[in-house]
Amino acid sequence: MWQFPVSDQVPQISGNRQACGNSFDKQQRTFIQMRTVLKVVDNSGAKKVMCIQALKGKKGARLGDTIIASVKEAMPNGKVKKGKVVYGVVVRAAMQRGRCDGSEVKFDDNAVVLVDKQGQPIGTRVFGPVPHELRQKKHVKILTLAEHIA
Amino acid sequence: MRLEKCWFCSSTVYPGHGIQFVRNDAKIFCFCRSKCHKNFKMKRNPRKVKWTKAYRRLHGKDMTQDSTFEFERKRNRPERYDRNLAENTLKAIKKIDKIRSDRASDHIKNRLKTGKVQRQKEARKQLELGIHLVKAPLALAQDSSLCLPKIKVNVSQAQTEENQPMED
Repeated sequence: MWQFPVSDQVPQISGNRQACGNSFDKQQRTFIQMRTVLKVVDNSGAKKVMCIQALKGKKGARLGDTIIASVKEAMPNGKVKKGKVVYGVVVRAAMQRGRCDGSEVKFDDNAVVLVDKQGQPIGTRVFGPVPHELRQKKHVKILTLAEHIA
Repeated sequence: MRLEKCWFCSSTVYPGHGIQFVRNDAKIFCFCRSKCHKNFKMKRNPRKVKWTKAYRRLHGKDMTQDSTFEFERKRNRPERYDRNLAENTLKAIKKIDKIRSDRASDHIKNRLKTGKVQRQKEARKQLELGIHLVKAPLALAQDSSLCLPKIKVNVSQAQTEENQPMED
């Protein structure tokens, strides 16, 4: 008696989705939270900081928010040294932020400008584009230093 | 409020739609919907993707040069508000839009005309050859108005004369 071959294969649950080649989707498009490494885009001396606390926001910081960060990588002679705890303002975030007209903006990377407790930037130059959401957050000084406002 | 153009498909992005991506070299890309955004992330060239305006203009499918496009140039200097100007502009927009779309559809019609003529010719020929599928030959013979007029083709007599020496 001829029997139908029974296929015992369990359907593959594609949980990791690595088959489709996600080389272009590696950027994490989520909040900036503890342990997030951000690029520093001013000339304060630091190169990379790691967020240790996002002020305001249970899930994390977004574009335009301030964070407390620890300097992980710094230039040899700069105003801030490695290991220092600093405040920073997020000027570029990979996660999209809604604008008041309904559209959304997002940037290519996560970048921060170091500020002091009062909100004044430590450095004297800011590199790269910055969003004009900073005006509403009263970070006017950063906007004046910026070379391009998106 | 400003109506942007989608970077990928060149359609208008109305307020409240789409995503704006700012690259680190400060170049801004506006997308009308996630379809265009995802194609951009895949690094596809809009000039090679068939459904975009860039491809259609490049390959001559759509109108490229017209005087109505001058009205839509981006002007960065704001105009002082004038009620009459605003009213006239609104009326003009409607009219210019209609003219532009008429010209665009004419362009497409002209482009497709040659194909249509060709197809009609082929259809006519097919009907002539296969008239027996449509009407019975007996009916055609009885009622001459049903079949297509017969075209006489003159065969040149010189050909038959040339053949005769060959057969000998």
